[in-house]
Amino acid sequence: MFGYVIRRLLVMIPTLIAISIIVFGIIQLPPGDYLSTYVAELQSQGEAVDPQKIQFLRELYGFDRPAWEQYLYWVAGLLQGNMGYSFAYNLPVNDVVGDRLVLTFIVSISTIIFTWVLAFPIGIYSATHQYSWTDYGLTLLGFLGLATPSFLLALVLLYGANTLFGISIGGLMDERFIGQPWSLAKVGSVLSHLWIPVIVIGASGTAGMIRRLRANLLDELQKQYVTTARAKGLKPFKVLMKYPLRMSLNPFIADIGTLLPHVISGAAIVSVVLSLPTTGPMLLEALRSQDMYLAGSFLMFMALLTVIGVFLSDLALAALDPRIRLDGGRQR
Amino acid sequence: MGWPASYRPLGRRGLGLGGSLVLAGILVLAGMALALPCSASRAEMVEPPALAERVAAGTLPPVNQRLPIVPAVEAGEPGKYGGELHTLIASARDTRVIGFYGYARLMAYTPEHELVPDILQSVDDDGDRVFTLHLRAGQKWSDGAPFTTEDFRYWWQDVALNPNLSPSGPPIELLIDGERPRVEILDETTIRFSWSKPNPTFLGHLAGPAPLQIFRPAHYLKQFNAKYAAPAMLDELVKQARVRNWGQLHNRLDNMTRNDNPDLPTLDPWVLTTRPPSDRFVFERNPYYYRIDRNGMQLPYIDRIIASIADAKIIPAKVGLGGESDLQARYLRFDNYTFLKDGEERNDFSVRLWRTGYGSQLALYPNLNVKDPIWQALMRDVRFRRALSMAIDRHEINQVIYYGLGIEGQNTMLPGSPLASTENQKAWAHYDSKAANRLLDEIGLTKRDGEGIRLMPDGRPLEIIIETAGDSSEQSDVLELIRDTWREIGIKLFTKPEQVEVLHNRIFAGETMMTIDKGLDDGLATPAMTPRVLAPTQQEGWEWPRWGQYFETKGKSGEPPDLPAAVELLALERRWHETISRDERKEIWQRMLAIHADQVFTIGTVAGVPQPVVVNNRLHNVPVEGIYNYDPGAHFGVYKPDHFWLSPPPGDTAKAAAAEPPAGSVSQPVKD
Repeated sequence: MFGYVIRRLLVMIPTLIAISIIVFGIIQLPPGDYLSTYVAELQSQGEAVDPQKIQFLRELYGFDRPAWEQYLYWVAGLLQGNMGYSFAYNLPVNDVVGDRLVLTFIVSISTIIFTWVLAFPIGIYSATHQYSWTDYGLTLLGFLGLATPSFLLALVLLYGANTLFGISIGGLMDERFIGQPWSLAKVGSVLSHLWIPVIVIGASGTAGMIRRLRANLLDELQKQYVTTARAKGLKPFKVLMKYPLRMSLNPFIADIGTLLPHVISGAAIVSVVLSLPTTGPMLLEALRSQDMYLAGSFLMFMALLTVIGVFLSDLALAALDPRIRLDGGRQR
Repeated sequence: MGWPASYRPLGRRGLGLGGSLVLAGILVLAGMALALPCSASRAEMVEPPALAERVAAGTLPPVNQRLPIVPAVEAGEPGKYGGELHTLIASARDTRVIGFYGYARLMAYTPEHELVPDILQSVDDDGDRVFTLHLRAGQKWSDGAPFTTEDFRYWWQDVALNPNLSPSGPPIELLIDGERPRVEILDETTIRFSWSKPNPTFLGHLAGPAPLQIFRPAHYLKQFNAKYAAPAMLDELVKQARVRNWGQLHNRLDNMTRNDNPDLPTLDPWVLTTRPPSDRFVFERNPYYYRIDRNGMQLPYIDRIIASIADAKIIPAKVGLGGESDLQARYLRFDNYTFLKDGEERNDFSVRLWRTGYGSQLALYPNLNVKDPIWQALMRDVRFRRALSMAIDRHEINQVIYYGLGIEGQNTMLPGSPLASTENQKAWAHYDSKAANRLLDEIGLTKRDGEGIRLMPDGRPLEIIIETAGDSSEQSDVLELIRDTWREIGIKLFTKPEQVEVLHNRIFAGETMMTIDKGLDDGLATPAMTPRVLAPTQQEGWEWPRWGQYFETKGKSGEPPDLPAAVELLALERRWHETISRDERKEIWQRMLAIHADQVFTIGTVAGVPQPVVVNNRLHNVPVEGIYNYDPGAHFGVYKPDHFWLSPPPGDTAKAAAAEPPAGSVSQPVKD
């Protein structure tokens, strides 16, 4: 076990180096740089830009240097915990990301809870009552959730929430609470805004989870040990909880690896539509405007979380399921 | 530390010069002339109630000590104090927009585009070569420090001439054929900029929305300048800010236009108080603001501006459905108009339609520098450009896309500019496909293919590809209509959307045939503004990018213009900068516009398309009809939002009482 952990940790290093090169390369691929998109944006609002100033900024930001030099500068900073400098915000990346992370956590964790609370009972019910009309009904609902584009759902809910309940459009709280210290009124305002993103982001996830849980559980329910347990007179509910359900949970534990980065990135497109102050829109905007250190450092942060998450879920699987052996592959 | 070398008290030489020259254009206090009814002296100024508490507590000096000895006076209708103005911006970078709205500039444009002193008390302009700027004695920065010529000296010597801070030297606007100005500080409130040749655009640059900033708050910035700061302290600051050197730190903190440093003292009516990053920026009133209304009330009336960030795409929805902005035009487009109008009653705002200042809402730019030799010959043939222009049904475009609210015509000056001419507007702009066909036949494009598309001399069909920057449905709608009418003269039109950088690089390289973009930035120019954009002087002139490049790089790259009309435009532009005669400048402008109209270098469609402006019904003094333009105009800036005021929300009587100025301190409004 110990050797396995060390090996996994060492493999992370080349993985992250490879990711950093790919990330930097892709960000640099589109023509132009941050300043050319900035100039275009100003011009679209009818503003003029002094070319001399732009040339000065280009030198200041080091855009005139070769790409490999910019890459090394960035990586060297990352190793010291300095994520670089955001051109768009005119601030160090660390300062830009910091505030948004908290709200992203709130949205993501609420969404995950919402998904689980809804998906587990429905999934189990669907599996145990296969082909009943309630199963069909819930399946239909689930597919609706999967098939509705989330941005559309978001727009419909926004319109409804504003015209019916008078909730301000977009955002996570009433505008007067932004930047204020937390208070009861602020929490209330956040809660009154939170349900829209939670439903919208959660809808497709819930549907997917119901389907997977139902399929996994159905596989297990057919197996002989279930029949045996039933024959021995165990109560149906206890049978369900003790064996098949636990078996069908493996895929969810394996999911933790992707869950971790998901929690901090949020759902970008929906967040843009809903104008949420989370990290998703920030990342999207950074990529679009080629704010390369902001985009690059944030993507690296997510990559790091993914790698760690996969590692943790592997360890958890090994601990939870005795059938999984860590060194199986090598002995074969 | 002693005065630097260029400091010379008004000496023999200065007097001699002054005596030999006629003081041609003295712009002495045009503001005062407008506002003579004000008889309030400094002792009778009105304390804004929002600041009364701080004054009573002794943490702020009383208003008469905060104002300059001669404050600037707003001549418009007086208002009442109080309230918060909410507005929406799309990103943290947009905090600069509040600086446009504040529009506190050394010189400022009036809504009629007249240039008047604003922060400056007066200016002596001696033949456009020597400018003597007089500051307002006693004016203060927003932190209470005096605003004097030291702030100008600091900028000139320790910023503009410092190779660490300005590697490329002083701003290009201050260089006349490479010559730097002579900067003399005459006393605490008088400073002189002089050149040996005229610099007619100097004062205009000071009035821009993102103006030429020729001063900096020296008392604040010296702590970041290696010349003044203790090295150990500065090193610590550089380290804290995670920048490479002090120059970078200084550059980040001293940007007055960007308006993103809450510590940077300012002269604006509202001062940023929120430290970025944030999604909501609060701008508080500047207690040391230099303007008063005609009753002696210190401006601004509105205590606070709150700018919240929302995605640009949902701003129309937030405004129209939720009424979440009290004053909004940015990010609202003309096609949002009906939707916004629908929200008027529910949200108690009104949607006004202001004119935009573009020479043309959308104009076609035939690329005279296209590489393909046959296309180039066609594009340079004036008959071809005229035919293309006459084959556009502008009336149809206006009716279909702009509800008939635009002005049909060429890309030229709009009515309202002293340079406007109906003749130029209508030149080659009437829809006449027969005449257009005749012109094309005349060129020799008589052969057609089976579809009726004309063939070029080398047998290729005449297919014009218009490359666009994409993402605007307005552009593709207009091009769709043009496609139909061009088809009638045997020309096929294709559009090719591209990413904006790709498009620009292709244009610069001469790879595109034609593009579509906004027309002239300033369709409301006056003869005193530079006609530079009308001549091939920049590579961003989409009709002649390589000629512009040649001019910009002083011949290092690009090509010299070889079309007689373009050469003449260049000569005229140069002459405009050399002459000091106002009449001649006007003639030059008119000549240049006439050349453009006749040569159809750009093909205009419809101009003056309205900009929806959403104004809360509680917000007063916002003009019902206005012009929404960037430069000159600064969007709302020329209408001086510091004298906009908010009446309290209905039913809020406690607030209403608070908003009343202290009893007895207001004289009756003067009727003119």
